[in-house]
Amino acid sequence: MSLVRSTIAAAAALLFGLGATSPAADAQQPKHGGTLRFVMKYEPPTLSVLNNTSTTTTSPKIWDGLLTYDVDLKPLPMLATSWKVSPDGLEYTFNLREGVTFHDGKPFTSADVAFSILRLKAGHPRGRGTFANVTEVKTPDAKTAVVVLSKPSPYMMVALGPSESAMVPKHLFEGVDVAAPPGPPLHIGTGPFVLKEWVRGSHAVLERNPNYWDKPKPYLDRVIIRFMPDAAARAAAFEAGDLDLGGSAPVPLADLARYKNHPKLAVDTRSFAYTGAQHQIFFNLDTPVLKNKKVREAIAHALDLDAIVETVFYGQAKVSPSPISVALTTWYDPEVKARKFDPELAGKLLDEAGHPRAAGGMRFPVRLLINPFIDGRLAEFVRQSLRRVGIDATTQNLEFGAYVKNVYTDRSFDLTIESLTNVFDPTVGVQRGYWSKNFRVGLPFSNSANYSNPEVDRLLEAAAVEVDPAKRKQAFSQFQRLVHADVPSVDLISPLEIIIANKKIRNYARGAEGLGDNFSDVHFVD
Amino acid sequence: MAIVELAPEAPVVAPAVGTWRALRAFLRNPAAVIATLFLLLVTLIAIAAPLIYPEDPLSMVARPFLWPGQNPKFPLGSDSLGRDVAAGLVWGARISLVIGIAAMALGVTIGIVVGATAGYFGGRIDDALVRLIEIFQTTPSFLMLVVLVAIAEPRVESITVAIALVTWPTIARLVRAEFRSLREKDFVTAARGLGYGHARIIFIEILPNALPPIIVTSSVIVASAILMESALSFMGLGDPNRISWGSMIGAGREMLRTAWYLTLIPGIAIVLTVLALNLIGDALNDALNPRLSAER
Repeated sequence: MSLVRSTIAAAAALLFGLGATSPAADAQQPKHGGTLRFVMKYEPPTLSVLNNTSTTTTSPKIWDGLLTYDVDLKPLPMLATSWKVSPDGLEYTFNLREGVTFHDGKPFTSADVAFSILRLKAGHPRGRGTFANVTEVKTPDAKTAVVVLSKPSPYMMVALGPSESAMVPKHLFEGVDVAAPPGPPLHIGTGPFVLKEWVRGSHAVLERNPNYWDKPKPYLDRVIIRFMPDAAARAAAFEAGDLDLGGSAPVPLADLARYKNHPKLAVDTRSFAYTGAQHQIFFNLDTPVLKNKKVREAIAHALDLDAIVETVFYGQAKVSPSPISVALTTWYDPEVKARKFDPELAGKLLDEAGHPRAAGGMRFPVRLLINPFIDGRLAEFVRQSLRRVGIDATTQNLEFGAYVKNVYTDRSFDLTIESLTNVFDPTVGVQRGYWSKNFRVGLPFSNSANYSNPEVDRLLEAAAVEVDPAKRKQAFSQFQRLVHADVPSVDLISPLEIIIANKKIRNYARGAEGLGDNFSDVHFVD
Repeated sequence: MAIVELAPEAPVVAPAVGTWRALRAFLRNPAAVIATLFLLLVTLIAIAAPLIYPEDPLSMVARPFLWPGQNPKFPLGSDSLGRDVAAGLVWGARISLVIGIAAMALGVTIGIVVGATAGYFGGRIDDALVRLIEIFQTTPSFLMLVVLVAIAEPRVESITVAIALVTWPTIARLVRAEFRSLREKDFVTAARGLGYGHARIIFIEILPNALPPIIVTSSVIVASAILMESALSFMGLGDPNRISWGSMIGAGREMLRTAWYLTLIPGIAIVLTVLALNLIGDALNDALNPRLSAER
């Protein structure tokens, strides 16, 4: 890092009072010590990202990845110090860092890499796609791991960050059920922080790992992760100075303006390549009335996406009408446009589909669910929009576990408002929702619609192995147009990432992973 | 009381005379009269809700965050999705009163049956039923309510039943105590001597004499049922497809700093209604307790 660049960054930090935008912000030696109080909306069953996707911000503090990424998704060394891809794109060789140990003192070796990648392939909702072509992971020696693929997987090189693909100790996880959320005794990684205690329903305490390989990091003594499901309570805690950091819009959006001029708190609306936030409605295509495409089109015409952005999200979102989020600028096809908001046309389509309004004005009932991570007002908005065109929609408030079970195991829903984030690549983030081979009852965030179109499958499978970016983009464009025409989902909006941070902390989101940063570089300034 | 000793039918006559006396006592209490009038008004509004606001109170009809008085079409303003607060208040009255009264009726019925059986028969039946009541009474009632509603899907019907299930023990204990003291009275002995069946003695002879404290408690139970429903809705455990005062507060709470009227307006409605019910309960207590009235 050049001196000039860090000086500019330090000057920028002084000017804006917020030096978190660049890893170069710490011109002087960062100060050691301090406790960071990080808030999460919901308490996950485990802090590990090994077999779920709700822990992308907690897992990297305890478990490292092979690589990490700068804001432009350029790979940076983490547990792998160097890597080499064979010309045919079928062999990835990673040279592993020397002298890395797990929190229990056991050394980190290539066997752990092999185990973790195969475990992610078996149990991680996205890892199943990312590592689908991995046939084996060879371990010629303790510090070399060679991932062997049956087909090229161009997205794999951007999927090896700690918030996506955690490296776990083989000696502890071997024999543990793939699907079961790892409990606190299994919270042993190579990461900068060690799980000290976890008080269920309240908080988890992470202590500094004194043996972390990236000396002198980590700077913080302690990270306290607090679980606060109530937005008003989080807002009160931020204002009382009880919280330092929170992501995914931790305070009510209605209150956001108050924080813009706050003396101690900063609002950070940068977007991160790893997120690809997207909210969409999936239809349960097993529901008889929804088998008719006209009904699904009518529902799309009944929704005013601009009004959703303005009223439900207070303008802190973008209309995102395609199955690939507008946040993924490389892959989103701007030709895919939202269906026009037209309740009358919706009514006409429903009439044509054979569902006239009955006495009382309603045509047929539907059960509308919503992923509880999304503001429930979106469900109310959708429900009222549907009721206006005569679809008797009823909502249900479910906690996260019950929601996942209802949608992905019991399939007892008709429409669900989902937040299937696109992450960093459509093959990893989008394919899972539309690929017919990913209709797997019981697997969270899979193809909940039970959508099946052989041409879509073919395009997805072709794009997944296509090494030429232009051809890949073309395949994804065709995919978007086909899905948009078939309407297995109505894609709604992409919410902005909103982070609230104490102005005195630095480097909480250095790269593409956003708050999935491992926090080893986080420090307080005076 | 001489008449009472002569014939079993006598006590039924006595309350009839007492009713007029009690009504006069009740009407002499200005707070009770105002409370009754207020409650009547709320009831009228609740009944007339479909006439006042024919549209679904949950529909988005206005610009979001209109303040009260800003637009005469929406006198109490609109919430974050542009729903009419006044319509919500009117329709919310319906849910609050329906749940309050239905839960009370169900709870009181269960309470009377269990309490009367325990108090009248005594012995082992009494022991068993008292244990049952104690199981319910030693469980924190709101926690039990949350669990019951979480198990059943939160709908008006299930919430009503759940509230009834946590309130009946109060009534049951009260009825049991009344029955235990009344069952030894001479008119009951006389009724038994005439060969009346248990059911007739329980419901025709003893129950009318045990009614005053039940009526007083019932009014308070309606108030607490309304509060419980509000608390459930506030926590997001209410019926999400029906508007209620509690759900309005729950939704408005996020904007407490910027749009406090969203919390205040339904809050006032709950406070006044619950206060009215409590005042009526107090007045009924005074009016139906002859000894207390005589001393005044």
